[in-house]
Amino acid sequence: MADKTSTTRRAILQASLGAGLGLATLSSLFVAGGLKPKKEITPETEPPKEGDRFVVAEGPDKGKLITLDLLPLGGPFVLAWPKDPKTGVVKNGERNNLTMLIRLNPDEYDEETRKNTDQGVAAFSAICTHLGCTVSQWLADQKAFLCPCHKGIYDPRQGAKVIGGPPPRPLPMLPVKVENGEVVAAGGFLSPVGVIAGRSSAKPRV
Amino acid sequence: MSVYRWLDERLDLDRFNKKFMRKAFPVHHSFFLGEIALFSFVILVLTGLFLTFNFEPSTRLVKYQGQELPAAYVSVLYIDSLPFGKVIRSAHHWAAHIMVASVFLHLLRILISGAYKKPREVNWLLGLLLLALTVVVAFIGYSLPFDAFSVTATQIGYGIGKSIPYVGDWIAQVTFGGEYPTVHSIPRLYALHVLWLPLLLMALIGAHMLIMIKQKHTQPRYAEEVAPGKILGVPMMPMQISVMTVLFLLYLGVLFILAGAVIAHPIEVYGPPGTSTPALKPDWYFLWIYGILQMIPSSWQIPLPGGASITSEFIGGVLIPGILGLAALLLPFVDTRKTKQRYVELPTEHPMRTSVTVGLLFFFFVATFAGWKEEFGMTNGQLWAMLIFIPLAAWFTTYVLIRQVWGKRPADE
Repeated sequence: MADKTSTTRRAILQASLGAGLGLATLSSLFVAGGLKPKKEITPETEPPKEGDRFVVAEGPDKGKLITLDLLPLGGPFVLAWPKDPKTGVVKNGERNNLTMLIRLNPDEYDEETRKNTDQGVAAFSAICTHLGCTVSQWLADQKAFLCPCHKGIYDPRQGAKVIGGPPPRPLPMLPVKVENGEVVAAGGFLSPVGVIAGRSSAKPRV
Repeated sequence: MSVYRWLDERLDLDRFNKKFMRKAFPVHHSFFLGEIALFSFVILVLTGLFLTFNFEPSTRLVKYQGQELPAAYVSVLYIDSLPFGKVIRSAHHWAAHIMVASVFLHLLRILISGAYKKPREVNWLLGLLLLALTVVVAFIGYSLPFDAFSVTATQIGYGIGKSIPYVGDWIAQVTFGGEYPTVHSIPRLYALHVLWLPLLLMALIGAHMLIMIKQKHTQPRYAEEVAPGKILGVPMMPMQISVMTVLFLLYLGVLFILAGAVIAHPIEVYGPPGTSTPALKPDWYFLWIYGILQMIPSSWQIPLPGGASITSEFIGGVLIPGILGLAALLLPFVDTRKTKQRYVELPTEHPMRTSVTVGLLFFFFVATFAGWKEEFGMTNGQLWAMLIFIPLAAWFTTYVLIRQVWGKRPADE
């Protein structure tokens, strides 16, 4: 009889210990969800959208509204932040908004790319799809963008296709129009910006 | 002395001394590499103490001499302005370099002398973990000054983390505080760098040393010849302690001369983070990964179910280092020979292991060289040919050389 009692007692203790540990682990998983910071969307971090203008991101012209005469024909490109024309907010709170504007001869673009350009002006994300550095160099002889981190090379004439180095996919394009000499966004980026978690598909993230 | 007696009556210090302070340390110069790593850690904690008191872990913009700059960057400028501040920050940086180097050389010593074998598998695994942690802590240390260099370097680390299929996004965001850089990034990386990872390092270093004391050192070759089956060495008190103190002071002197002469990571040269990417190369211990990352063309992609895929950055940044790490983890479970469990094995008596190690070292050298791909105008084809054939040639040459020169000696088994 004594044996039976102690076995029951042990079983109850083990069951309650197991249940307690299990519940504690489960509830700690809920807390662990908070380890990934919340993304705070403010006017400065909103992605570019249709109608946005652009301002120069760096250099002596920093902050200037980008018009055709600020973009030299045939390159180099200009790094720019989108700007909401209604509120006047420059969207430089989110690094992924950094855009490169380039003006080439319209005939140089291939068919597919030309649809998203206007008067030879094209806009691409400036965030390298390899490891997220800013694509900040212009190769004048190849008319191509170079990311200095691991030497990824993109050809703006073929929709920023990778023509050298390791990047897994082209730089996302942003369709633009030119209105009264000002460069205007005709939409958001056509594919996800920057490094995407082990994904190479160019499908836009909605 | 009376203080000692007072404590001894209460704590039985004599017993402790007999048990631990008489531990025999074998005398061999290659046995000091681990100690140098330990000294580096001590100096990193002490110099780090000074740095934490003055560093402000925040990227909020503050006014500084008419400019708006991140608070972390400004606080590092402040540290540099303190008496000896710049030298202490430089010494912290240099000690990190020395720690990574000495941990790696310590590992090589263990590897080529076969000291990872049973019963020392646990300490081999702990040692590998310590190497990985050391490199991670050093990398996170880079992010803290928040200058143009450090932001770009951290950006790349974030990208590598994010490239892991399925879980990469979560891992990268938890480690780097969201989509780097955010306001959460520096506080989180700071906590990891100065609190949680050093605590973990301390615990693992403690375990590493306790296990070493429990299992005893492997004995150098001369011990086997002089007194087979006995443990030879100098006692911890007073001899090993004296040697260690001298070595520590010597290290301290050399480190501070170096730190003062060559100021590491001058943030005012790199400037605050801007929109453009500065031209930079990572630290020497990351150059091989940096080289490999440049050698992998964008066409190397393997789609996985669910829209994920293995991409070039994952192969170069995670997969290749991961495979090497895994091979190292498995080594003591593959090499299960029961010979020489107490004594070090001479590298020349194990031509295969030694030559494979040399081949691997050449793999690191060639991959590092690939970091200068652009400067030397190399193509991927040339680099891949070099990366495959030079290590193979080094392995083969070493093997033949060892067999030719030492192979005829009678193996003493």
